[in-house]
Amino acid sequence: MRAGRAVALVALLVFTLFPVVWMVVTALNPSASSASATPTGVTLDNFRFVLDEGGFGRYLWNSALVAVGTVLVSGLLALLAAVAVARFRFKFRTAVLVMVLIVQMVPLEALVIPLFIQARNLQLINSLLGLVVVYVAFSLPFAIWTLRGFVAAIPVDIEEAAYVDGASWTRMFFSILLPLVAPGLVATSVFSFITAWNEFVFALTFLGDDSKYTVAIGLRNFFGQYGTNWGAVMAGSTLITIPVMVFFVMVQRRLTAGLVAGASKG
Amino acid sequence: MAGPLAAPVTSAPSEQRETGDRRAARRPGDRTPRAALGHFGIGRTVRPWLLLTPSLIVLGALLLYPLVRVVLISLQDFSGLRAVARGTAEFIGLDNYREVLRDEQLWRTVLPNTVVVALACVFLTVVIGTLAALLLESLGAKMRAATTIAILSAWAVPAVTGTYIWIWIFDPVNGLVSKAAQWAGLVAPGGENWFLDRTTFFAIVILNVVHHGFPFVALTVLAGLLTIPAEMVEASKLDGAGAWRRFWSITVPTLRPVFAVVTILSTIWDFKVFTQVYLMPGGSGSNREVLNLGTWSYVESFGQTEYGTGSAIAVVLTVVLLLITGIYLRTMFKEGEL
Amino acid sequence: MRIRSQSRRLAAVALAATTALVIAGCGDGDSDTANNDTTNQSLTVWIMEGTNPDATPFFDKVKTAFKKDNNAELNIQFVPWSAAHDKFVTAVGGGETPDVAEVGTTWTPEFGEAGILTDLTDKVKGSAVADDLVDSLQTAGEVDGKLYGMPWYAGVRSVLYRTDVFEELGLKPPTTWDEWLTVAQAIKTAKPEMIAMPVAGDNEYGVYPFVWGAGGDIATLDGDKWTSKIDSADAKRGIQFYTDLALKHGLSSPAAATWKETDLRDNFGQGNVAMMISGSWTPKSIVEKAPALDGKIGAFPIPGEKSGLSPSFVGGSHLAVFEGSKNADLAWKFVEMMTTGEFANEWATQSSFFPGLKSLLDEATKQDDPLVAPFAEQMKDGGETVPVTPAYGKVQAKKTVPAMLQAILSGSKTVDQATADAAKEMTSEMQG
Repeated sequence: MRAGRAVALVALLVFTLFPVVWMVVTALNPSASSASATPTGVTLDNFRFVLDEGGFGRYLWNSALVAVGTVLVSGLLALLAAVAVARFRFKFRTAVLVMVLIVQMVPLEALVIPLFIQARNLQLINSLLGLVVVYVAFSLPFAIWTLRGFVAAIPVDIEEAAYVDGASWTRMFFSILLPLVAPGLVATSVFSFITAWNEFVFALTFLGDDSKYTVAIGLRNFFGQYGTNWGAVMAGSTLITIPVMVFFVMVQRRLTAGLVAGASKG
Repeated sequence: MAGPLAAPVTSAPSEQRETGDRRAARRPGDRTPRAALGHFGIGRTVRPWLLLTPSLIVLGALLLYPLVRVVLISLQDFSGLRAVARGTAEFIGLDNYREVLRDEQLWRTVLPNTVVVALACVFLTVVIGTLAALLLESLGAKMRAATTIAILSAWAVPAVTGTYIWIWIFDPVNGLVSKAAQWAGLVAPGGENWFLDRTTFFAIVILNVVHHGFPFVALTVLAGLLTIPAEMVEASKLDGAGAWRRFWSITVPTLRPVFAVVTILSTIWDFKVFTQVYLMPGGSGSNREVLNLGTWSYVESFGQTEYGTGSAIAVVLTVVLLLITGIYLRTMFKEGEL
Repeated sequence: MRIRSQSRRLAAVALAATTALVIAGCGDGDSDTANNDTTNQSLTVWIMEGTNPDATPFFDKVKTAFKKDNNAELNIQFVPWSAAHDKFVTAVGGGETPDVAEVGTTWTPEFGEAGILTDLTDKVKGSAVADDLVDSLQTAGEVDGKLYGMPWYAGVRSVLYRTDVFEELGLKPPTTWDEWLTVAQAIKTAKPEMIAMPVAGDNEYGVYPFVWGAGGDIATLDGDKWTSKIDSADAKRGIQFYTDLALKHGLSSPAAATWKETDLRDNFGQGNVAMMISGSWTPKSIVEKAPALDGKIGAFPIPGEKSGLSPSFVGGSHLAVFEGSKNADLAWKFVEMMTTGEFANEWATQSSFFPGLKSLLDEATKQDDPLVAPFAEQMKDGGETVPVTPAYGKVQAKKTVPAMLQAILSGSKTVDQATADAAKEMTSEMQG
């Protein structure tokens, strides 16, 4: 069994990491005219180019602001909504759940122009805040549906016990509910982060100022009409990938600590 | 028993856990919960809506108008940049829908491609994701963290980049797979263009989509697995249940909501796959045999500034997805899962 | 309790982040009014990313000069090509178009016909460069006799080849199609590991020279209706020759059936390709990425079928002023500054394109550079445009010609079948 598990682990890692490793190798390749080229060496020039002329220094910061904002706002909103849907039976409950899901179904290109007009009317154009609002809307469905499941899985008794002890709803929410849905929050946080981090269409449409560009736009800049700078593409992509993993580590640590403490309460 | 403002919902696994515990149901007139439900003594009709309001505001203010507009545009002859500039166009009723649904290519090539590929992607993503989650759960904390981060990288790499990397892996001249195949003598020295044949083309697309999508499933299912109380698992181990039986009698029922979300969302996304097909050689319209719903709708409508037909396709797709997920949703509602 | 303090910390972080966002987001919403300059005039300009590798320092100079001459600010935004058309359409839909923008020559008819661009005919007539616009660029920018796009820069495609390979095999650049075939076959025999003359399937600009060179047309205008002529006998003969290079003579590679122009270039840069149809702007970037090829690249104009040149597509960009600009006169001043005189020349040189004025183009052709002269010759004597009508934009979006090429190259259709289908589709798209 041990051996089987080890083999499975290796297979999983190879499958997952192979393209990622290739990306990094090409990013470090001084002659990356096409990534099927064999690496001729190791250089940080591509990274330098990307951060400097490619503007990624600025773009990473913009993307970080937008992504963190999206995670926090959508996490909070979704959790509240999930509690509502999981703990209460009310009229239109089904309708709300289904409506939330429809948001995910409509193809994006159909929505671009009307959404742009609406955002413009709400004065959300050309601002990172506007992007956050849009990305929150896009990540809410998954977050609400997932957290609903987690909230629903918490036995009501635990809540009841807290009330019997004299806790207010807020206290119950923070000390009982939150730790128990923590793993779900990790998943939805990562999802919201990646949604905001990699989204391109709306970012380009909304932003009218180079200095506000996100990394997703910055990456597309390397795909020229007349040729592609593959070294820059891969270096940029590497720089895009790393923060996501850093984010995950941070979120994982904070929230699983809560889980452990919560679980130990019985 | 309970009135319309009845008991909070408990899901099946909770009931399993609370065998013999009858306190789950709320008794009418019981003051404790209401008082303990805190400051909003107004009652349970208002509370859920209060909690929902922020989300509904964001979704409604931002998306309600655009969704309505999409339907309206689908009923107009919204064709060309002139119409876009003006903002409205001649009302032509269901003509766009007729044009779209009568297109032979839709039924012969596009829909079959989309459905088959989506089903394959969903199946593989959920299976591999779940297997990965199970594997992760069985690891020690440090290994688990490290492996999860590794898996996450596949999800974190932008879809654009990932697609190009897979394209290069299969590049007929220089790609790894092609070189290996040539070395093994399976393929002629000039190389074989995997992108020309529909089957190999979509095999690569499926590989790409599954690679990019399984970490999401793994992470979500893992989160679910971690909330299964250890006592339950121990108890069934003591009963002598093997891993396979434990999976089907404990894990799956407990995680039904999680699997439901993951499957429904994967289905929706895999039906709408665009980038992973569009960027492939021939996928942007020059190879008519490999068009799927996303690329076809772009090439036929949005790319040509034909927003009327594009919106009609969007509406049709949404309805189809509603129907498909609707079946699954209804089952869940029936079993009181929702 | 650890959890409560953690949650508190979380809330604090949330508050801080949201505040930062609000500041960042709202801060520059109305930067026009919050100007610390004495002017309140500014222009929003969209330029395509990547044409000029030194775009930023170039535009810094432009901004300073513009400020000096007109006491107005320039707000330049770089847009990635691949998403530019969509961004334009969305901006039009939302009423947020820029004052001036770089518009690809194949988009100008579409934008002009939709009424979103300002008519520049009179402005040009009254200016010093009234008769100096390069013909093909001017035609490409006109709809119903009105000029909507000011020619800015252009390039043309000819044949790029490996001079070292030619030298080694004692070959000379061909001047007819038959010679071309002989040269390619000689390379294939002597160097089977190279691709002698790849036929890129996802590249319409590679096949047009053969259609035009054989005396055919893509489409013709009868009255006000366009009809596709890609299935005419001449056009078919040209397409047959081009695809036979791959299918009959094996001078291409199976991979090339799905290649875009960029793939063609990447492979040339890797040293796999002996000859390719490529643009005047590519040699510099190829050598940059593959220094080993420095001094080993040459160019010759696309040979005619029996003599002379085969016409090749002149592509480039216009600068256009958008209707709805609040500073139309200022916008024109900017356009004039960029497309005439010193800045026009500098931009063209830096991006290795040709400027849009005949006088400047003549200067460029007098250069002795072996990598410039053949392209200049092609542009002057063998430059053509695709049908100048928004309807052709739709045909290109639908990829009718690449689909035709790919069908032939993959063997799923014969030349007759593929051209017939393509002609039918093209005509219906252009007339529908």
